Amino acid sequence: MINQSLSLPNNEEITTAPNGHRLLSLGRHMTILIEKQAIIRNVWLLILLAIACVATLGIGTMPISPKEVIAVLFGHGNAMSQFIVQDLRLPRLLAALFTGAAFSLAGCLMQTMARNRLATPGIIGIDNAAMAFAVSSVVGMGISLAPSVMALAGAATATALAFGLAGGSGTRGYRFIVAGIGIGAIAGAVTQLLLSQVSIDVANSAYPWTVGSLSARDPMMVSILGIGLVICLVACLLFASQFALMPFSDQVIMGLGANIKYIRIVALILCITLTGLAVAVAGPVGLIALIGPEIARVLARYRGIPLISSALAGALVMILADLFGRTVLSPIELPVGIVTAVIGGPYLIWILVRRTSRTSL
Amino acid sequence: MISWFYIPPAQRPLFSVFVSALFVLALCCFCSLLFGAGGLSLQASFQTLLGNGSADTQFTVFHLRANRTLIGLFVGLTLGIAGALMQAVARNPLAEPGLLGVSAGSSLAVAITLVLGASTATLTVGVAQFGALLGCLCVLGVARMQGQQNDPIRLVLAGAALSSLLLAVTSLLLLFDQRAADEIRFWVTGSVAGRDTNTLFSVLPSMLIAIICILYTAKPLASLALGERVAIGLGHKPQRVRAVVIVAVALLVGGATAIAGPVAFIGLVVPFAARALVGPDIRRTLWLCLPLGPIIVISADVVSRLVAQPAEMPLGVLTAIIGAPVLLLIVRSRRMPTL
Amino acid sequence: MLLNRLSFKKILLCACITTSFSVFAGEHSVITKYGEVKVNDDVKRIVTLSEDALDSAIALGVKPLGAIATRGGDSVAEYIQKRASGVNMVGTSRQNNLEAIAAQRPDLILASTNLPQDQYNILSKIAPTIVPISPGMVSDNWIKVAKVYAQALNKDEQMNTILSDIKDRENALKDVITAKLPKNERSATLARWMPQGPIVMSSQIFSTDVLAAAGFIINDAGVIKEGRPHSSPLSLENLSKVDSNWLFLATLNTEGKDALEAAKTSPSFSRLNVVKEDKVIAVNGQLWTSAAGPLAAHAILDDIQNIINNKIK
Repeated sequence: MINQSLSLPNNEEITTAPNGHRLLSLGRHMTILIEKQAIIRNVWLLILLAIACVATLGIGTMPISPKEVIAVLFGHGNAMSQFIVQDLRLPRLLAALFTGAAFSLAGCLMQTMARNRLATPGIIGIDNAAMAFAVSSVVGMGISLAPSVMALAGAATATALAFGLAGGSGTRGYRFIVAGIGIGAIAGAVTQLLLSQVSIDVANSAYPWTVGSLSARDPMMVSILGIGLVICLVACLLFASQFALMPFSDQVIMGLGANIKYIRIVALILCITLTGLAVAVAGPVGLIALIGPEIARVLARYRGIPLISSALAGALVMILADLFGRTVLSPIELPVGIVTAVIGGPYLIWILVRRTSRTSL
Repeated sequence: MISWFYIPPAQRPLFSVFVSALFVLALCCFCSLLFGAGGLSLQASFQTLLGNGSADTQFTVFHLRANRTLIGLFVGLTLGIAGALMQAVARNPLAEPGLLGVSAGSSLAVAITLVLGASTATLTVGVAQFGALLGCLCVLGVARMQGQQNDPIRLVLAGAALSSLLLAVTSLLLLFDQRAADEIRFWVTGSVAGRDTNTLFSVLPSMLIAIICILYTAKPLASLALGERVAIGLGHKPQRVRAVVIVAVALLVGGATAIAGPVAFIGLVVPFAARALVGPDIRRTLWLCLPLGPIIVISADVVSRLVAQPAEMPLGVLTAIIGAPVLLLIVRSRRMPTL
Repeated sequence: MLLNRLSFKKILLCACITTSFSVFAGEHSVITKYGEVKVNDDVKRIVTLSEDALDSAIALGVKPLGAIATRGGDSVAEYIQKRASGVNMVGTSRQNNLEAIAAQRPDLILASTNLPQDQYNILSKIAPTIVPISPGMVSDNWIKVAKVYAQALNKDEQMNTILSDIKDRENALKDVITAKLPKNERSATLARWMPQGPIVMSSQIFSTDVLAAAGFIINDAGVIKEGRPHSSPLSLENLSKVDSNWLFLATLNTEGKDALEAAKTSPSFSRLNVVKEDKVIAVNGQLWTSAAGPLAAHAILDDIQNIINNKIK
């Protein structure tokens, strides 16, 4: 976790780092505080992620040993394992990695912004609208665009509608969220309507888009998501110090001289971009946006806004969930959206029923 | 009548508002008997109503249409009241059984029975009510978590998370059973057509229990609206009142879901309209919810018959399209956080 | 009829040319939805990713290594279960398991007409993948698809024999039915019963094609949108539209009788003349609304034979 200190050019230069932090100077006016614990945490997460990646490349209907996996990755190995790893498992792994990180990062931003651990990008209807658009493409409502492109268009439409209906960002973004709930409900109803109007074969081929799946995703969309994710991650780091203020009350934030509206809008734009791109790849896998950041917060012991850890944890959960889904009932594959829901469900209920003051961030 | 609009809602005479709402309801029922997706013309329907129809037209008007009107009446009644109760107990104008996961619980229970081999045609009521109760208990957990906090969005967030969870479990079940998936595809949108009126009789006992619960809680609920401490001071037990209300809501929503499938947003729209007409006092609102719920469901049903002839548009889709703008209206109105 | 003969001969001719040509080449090409695909003449290991492909392959004496489960089940459809014993499941009608397919190391994949491009791109790396061009919702489209699968398996002639056998059997049944039933007692509707109303199946799907060929006159009530295999659930007020002389009621569960009983509890259903005359026939939805292919055609003809034996005097 990297915490930029607020740049206060008129004050004295900060020369010593607080306990457990390290000071990194970038030029004269910019210093970055790095929390040592955060680094250790993220390195651990990275190691776990690497192990999970190798495991997921090796495990499946045709098991491949880790040694062979690494050989294949460096261009050796026999043709069959090359095909399995390079054409089947690697694209799927990348899709899982990117969507997991994107959903989770977006969730973390959304929760920070709404000051509520239960807020997800799905709540503002992005998921449902993307689903409705993708399904309309699959069931052939006279639209010839690919489902993933339509999903992206759906996410954009939902956001624009929510913004328009909420009339600006409203008081503390409430209106925005409720407008999103309404849009999500309508989109959900429209999806059901579409699915009930077509034959079951067509409804079946639209099925992955209604639950969220990583099987045979559009490689083009995956690479766009990868680029978008990197850009959004960098942006998140640049704004990390501002985001870190969000848990405080509006008065405190304004007292510190930050522009709260501006911060909210930046967070919202990042959140929507990430979710829109991720939904266009995998369909609605909303619960990752709850689980990933929650794990990151537990690891960070509820200090700060663990953006990087959220992304890593989300990717990790997504990869493991997909691995679980494609191996546990083989040859039938469980779509990843269902696996995350079933894994995340009990945890979610626990958060809901637990009586603590931690329900707000 | 027009002069009402100049009186603040809370001071309007309840009786005359109620009676005129009943009048509108009667009009809706009449329309519901007249219009249909079938080949029966308006004139023929009217003649049949006057008593000069053939056996076929009489069957269509007095059996098919009368039945679905009756079921629409019941569904509107139960969902409207359930919404009003839920909003009063959560002190939150956004608390709606559909938004809070009660209907999702019901759907899950129905999906389980489908997977276990029942067919939607032979669906039993108890299962859906049990599911609704399950959903309600989760909401109760949420309400407990809410405690004294008065944050309307938080409850909705929790409800939405809960709904998505229950829906995911439902789709997991359906993954293993395509036959159930195929049947539930038509059930999840909600409809009042072709439901057996006999199921109405099977829900009657539970409805009686619900009515008793409501009569018992109406007064304490009104004082709860003034705040927890006031209610305790007046000699009520808020926890017990809440528990009773939750049971009543589960019975009502479960009954309605068993008969018509999940019909979204009725529980949101009806109390909102009722409050706009007679003010926020729950005792007045509940009375007005009685005619308003059926008015909305039956008129939506009439529209659903007319827009997609010779098939019908699912009722749940129409109510979602009506309901979402109302949701926005509620948020835009200033009274929102306080109720 | 004459036209049929003509095109039949043409196809036979083409088949002869391709087979004779391929003797030298060792492989032949098949025109598919995603372009021309070259297939080895002598394929051994095949995987079928649709119910009609499985049916055609087994009818041609080629047992696939892998197949997908039927709709509403976790194995292949009931009517074909005996002949397809030992076939590995490689997915469901909703999602194929790409790895399980690759694990069979097939040298030919027969897929359904609506396989998405994304999946095709990967599958075609595993083995030549045949995605027949969908003929659309027209009569006898299943025959065109079956012929493509046969062409891929290099068994066009066998398929033609099989298809003409079916034609012969259909004609035989048709003679019996037309002799026993006057023209105004042969109308039939295939529907699925839902509580809010029946779903009428098109007159151009596989099973109604076979029904029509066996002498029934299909009544689809005029409620099906162009190009759709079935209608939305009809309003109960329009139930009289499905009141044909015969009503075939398909269900996806094995206990078809339960669904029939459930439907009979609905007063608007029991009012129908066809119900009063006891001419409602509960049929297996796996076979009647999901499957297609030569073996399925024979199974449906078996059902019709039963009706002739038991219900028609």
